[in-house]
Amino acid sequence: MTQPAPSAQHQGPGKGRADAPASPPSKKQGPGARVLGFRADVRNLSLLGVLVVLVAVGGITEPDAFLDTGNLQLILTQASVIGVVTVGVTFVIIGGGIDLSVGAMVALASVWATTLATQEYGFAGILFTAMIVGLAAGLVNGVLIAYGGLVPFIATLAMLASARGLALQITDGKTQIVTVRSVLDLGLPDSYVLGIPPLVLVFAAVTVAGWFLLNRTTFGRRTVAVGGNAEAARLAGIDVRRQRLYLYLLSGLCCGIAAFMLIVLSGSGQNTNGNLYELDAIAAAIIGGTLLSGGRGTIVGSVLGVLVFTTITNIFALNNLQSDVQQIAKGAIIVAAVLVQRRTLRGGDT
Amino acid sequence: MPETSRRGLLFGTAAVSAGAFLTACTSNEPKEKAPAQSNQPAADDTEGKPVTIGFAGPQADHGWLNAINVQARSRAEKYSEVTLETTEGSNDTAAQIGQVKTLINKKVDVLVVLPADGKALTQVGLEAMRAGIPVVNLDRVFASPQAYRCWVGGDNYGMGLNAGHYIGEQLKDKANAKVVELAGIDNLELTKQRSQGFADALKNYSNIKLVARQAADFTVESGQAKMAQLLQAQKQFDALWNHDDDQGVGALRAIEQAGRDEFIMVGGAGAKSAMDAIKAGDSVLKATVLYPPTMAASAIDLARALGQSKGVSGLAEMEIPTSVTLYSAVVSKDNIDQYLPTGFS
Amino acid sequence: MASEPPPLLTMSGITKSFPGVRALDGVDLQVQAGEVHCLLGQNGAGKSTLIKVLAGAHQPDGGSITWQGETVQLSSPITAMRLGIATIYQELDLVEGLSVAENVFLGHEPTSGGFVVRTREARTAAAALLERLGHPEIDPAREVGDLSAAHQQIVSMARALSHDVRLIVMDEPSAALDPDEVDNLFRIVDGLTSDGVAVVYISHRLEEIRRIGDRVTVLKDGRAVAVGLPAAATPTRDIVAMMTGRDVEYVFPPRPAADAPPNTAEPVLTVEGLCREGEFEAVDLELRPGEIVGLAGLVGSGRSEILETVYGARRPTAGRVSVGGTPLRPGSVRAAVAAGIGLAPEERKAQALLLTESVTRNVSLSTLSRFARGGWLDRGAERAAARRATRELSLRPDNPDAAVRTLSGGNQQKAVLARWLLRGCRVLLLDEPTRGVDVGARAELYAVIRRLADEGLAVLLVSSEVPEVLGLADRVLVLREGRVVHEAAAQELDEHRVLDLVMEGSPTS
Repeated sequence: MTQPAPSAQHQGPGKGRADAPASPPSKKQGPGARVLGFRADVRNLSLLGVLVVLVAVGGITEPDAFLDTGNLQLILTQASVIGVVTVGVTFVIIGGGIDLSVGAMVALASVWATTLATQEYGFAGILFTAMIVGLAAGLVNGVLIAYGGLVPFIATLAMLASARGLALQITDGKTQIVTVRSVLDLGLPDSYVLGIPPLVLVFAAVTVAGWFLLNRTTFGRRTVAVGGNAEAARLAGIDVRRQRLYLYLLSGLCCGIAAFMLIVLSGSGQNTNGNLYELDAIAAAIIGGTLLSGGRGTIVGSVLGVLVFTTITNIFALNNLQSDVQQIAKGAIIVAAVLVQRRTLRGGDT
Repeated sequence: MPETSRRGLLFGTAAVSAGAFLTACTSNEPKEKAPAQSNQPAADDTEGKPVTIGFAGPQADHGWLNAINVQARSRAEKYSEVTLETTEGSNDTAAQIGQVKTLINKKVDVLVVLPADGKALTQVGLEAMRAGIPVVNLDRVFASPQAYRCWVGGDNYGMGLNAGHYIGEQLKDKANAKVVELAGIDNLELTKQRSQGFADALKNYSNIKLVARQAADFTVESGQAKMAQLLQAQKQFDALWNHDDDQGVGALRAIEQAGRDEFIMVGGAGAKSAMDAIKAGDSVLKATVLYPPTMAASAIDLARALGQSKGVSGLAEMEIPTSVTLYSAVVSKDNIDQYLPTGFS
Repeated sequence: MASEPPPLLTMSGITKSFPGVRALDGVDLQVQAGEVHCLLGQNGAGKSTLIKVLAGAHQPDGGSITWQGETVQLSSPITAMRLGIATIYQELDLVEGLSVAENVFLGHEPTSGGFVVRTREARTAAAALLERLGHPEIDPAREVGDLSAAHQQIVSMARALSHDVRLIVMDEPSAALDPDEVDNLFRIVDGLTSDGVAVVYISHRLEEIRRIGDRVTVLKDGRAVAVGLPAAATPTRDIVAMMTGRDVEYVFPPRPAADAPPNTAEPVLTVEGLCREGEFEAVDLELRPGEIVGLAGLVGSGRSEILETVYGARRPTAGRVSVGGTPLRPGSVRAAVAAGIGLAPEERKAQALLLTESVTRNVSLSTLSRFARGGWLDRGAERAAARRATRELSLRPDNPDAAVRTLSGGNQQKAVLARWLLRGCRVLLLDEPTRGVDVGARAELYAVIRRLADEGLAVLLVSSEVPEVLGLADRVLVLREGRVVHEAAAQELDEHRVLDLVMEGSPTS
């Protein structure tokens, strides 16, 4: 990290009261803190804390089932599909939008990619179709919002309804079983690379790519700018509308990838796939510190949010808690996680 | 700028071919047409006076519901004197009420209604009965017996009971046998009934213990997820009962992924994919308990008999019974060939 | 100045209209390289629109722009930037979630392959710019949202300088700065002009213009009334006269006759030593029933803030507000409203009205409980009461069901007044009551306000239009930078005097 070198010809008047009115920087670190040389987000640290507590709870209540590699693989695998969707949604939210259609896009892409006709084309046909359908749905969202002037909430709500409808029309309510062996094999232990399931590798790759895109590229800067202050972005010469279009395309692409992953995982395509993904993905992003109004957020936080959710579900299932208790506890934990996060944030501020 | 236009051309071509490819890929027609469904002889095959039957069902967003529609339609086609008036399937109560009212206004002779929500459709059932149109209530029961002439439906408690008995018999010689249950949507009454029946049946076998239960939500995705967790939680067990064959597709996938085969699995509902697996006999799935979609065909039969003021053969009664509860048969390798044609996808 | 070099920038005959407003009506502006050209004008004179045209953010309806001898179209912000025109806006155009360096280079980041940002390079370059601006202590890696307003201003300036710039527009750059910072700003401006960069400088502070300005262009009502006056030599009086000289005469209702007995009623509103750090200090005032008191001052003088503090929307750091002798709980709108204070805010569309709802619903909003019977609204009574209030104020159209959105600005304002009338308030705070109200309708609004006062209401009025304060109020308090610098009966003041006071701080004669 380059610090500005102290200047020899530095003039007096600025220095003495440079820190004056609003914020004394000596005390205030802001949301960023340096840990082990990395600029980490305090909010992410608190989320990491929540995760550690969860692991402790899991380890104490179910030491045999919770603490083994099989369970680690299981948690990461279950996190991978919704995780990829969440990365896309995080971009959209940071860019000042919202995407309610992710679950429906996953469903549509997964059934379109598993029709008998598509399965004729084998592995490549399924993968290609899932991604293109995701991209196309994202394109429709993006064009309607960026150029058609529709409010993101409405445009993606409409996409939710019509994509689910189209998925139902394609399947006729039937479960489409995948018979392409190479696709099915990808979800089996024989395909694990050094003990890591391929789906988890895809999730990791999407996470790293998303992190890089957000933090190291002009695309990322523009996303934050458009979400944080669209007028400032416009005056800085950024094509705000095109950037918005790209964000929904990105979300659609993530849904396409997730749809393919879901096909591999479940060995089938069904119009009920991706049920309530929109809520899970948005909740994970918000828990991960992404501002719902846009302009701020991190990929690492969102991924931690997903892992927290998946771990909770895992611990509940291992302890054989029934769905009523699970739902109550899940709600309580969301509130608790956000409260802890705000505490930590305030603690870091003052 | 030639650079841009060439890129544009390339992109355009790619987009057009992708579009063409995708459109071709929506097709779900199998290469050869699968054989039609059950061909049990009808109770009374002689042609009678013409009957118009109105049929209103929910949206077929699930394999079983789709099978209901198919069964009703093809059964009606078998009778030359029966005309079937079907409505667009709907899960919206208000919309379905409107559809039933339309059928009443059309003065159909008999109504067959599978309500999206039994309680909410009671009123319109009453209305039809008062208008002199007998109603055959399919599966999801109305709140008042006055709202239907005859109810025909499955037996959720019996499903659980029969699954429990089958598993009990298979494991009766095994000491300290462990059983796992993968239930359906927990908010639904029918899930509670199936679980209750299963628990009651297992009480007859003191050597068997239900060690874990998780609820999925009738989808493949949830079946895979919940089953994977159950397998992680229980390193060894002897039998699994899964409430629904659709979520069973996901459960089987999770079992395959975990590489486990030390237990037997019993499914529910009677999907074709499950029956195929039972027949092949190479997976843990050994049996499934029916919740037969053929009830829709039976409902058409009953409606036809009502319309022609006939009884059903094989019973001494003059009149059609007010309630017909179907038996949830256990389909295993022994009797699979008999039931295979009724499997739905 | 024997032979002037050709101008860097010539704008001639620029026109720009927005729905219902002619913001620029044929403006001319000429800027030389290396000069500080000051742009003066009252609020609404068209300064902001003109600089947005220059920045490529607005497209003019007519007129031409010549840049270094060539006619140009500034079709987008990026076009203007590429030519070397940078703008520092008054409302800071920064993205809080991005770091200092990211803001400085937003839209033209140094990249590898046009995509991957070279963060280190951007930070080094930003640090160099900040040092040039005399603020090497600002960390380029920090988030802008964590910086003080003054530092954000510096970042904005660094952003302007990050382009290869020939002309910088600064819109009230000193508004957020302390005196030390202003000195620093002037050093920066001197440095720029000695490099041949032109600066278009907008400020309300005449003393600043005298210190650094070379020439002055004065805008009024969307027109340039004086182009390129020498900044040092033109008398303040003349500049003020050009800014204020008016075509439109306002019609004000008569005040209580001069020979009427003085208003000796007990004050209904008493404000003692009211302070808010950084906004205003030690404000004392008394308001009697039937009296209209005006606060005159520039943007940033604290006039709206005082009003909002009296109303309880802002919490004072010291001092107190009493109604009828009883002190109010500080910082509580509920307490103020309960005591009978009503506010018609400046942004009435955003802060006071439900635009899509009917007149009735808007008027009854603060008094709903009065029409409720066990939770049910007696809609007939609600309507009748609202109608009485709107009729008293002659709100047009006389239709209680009309959506407020469809009313003219003046009648929207009347709907806000009717709400407080219905509530039966004793003190009415008016913030810019005629903003967005056309000239014809103003007279009627003035008459309504005077009539309310005659009926015993006490009115505290804030307006950026000096003639309005002078014409309507009985007594006037003149504010400058958060302090009351003068208090007098309205008849004893005139517009020039007030402008001298708010700009210079001491009476000139």
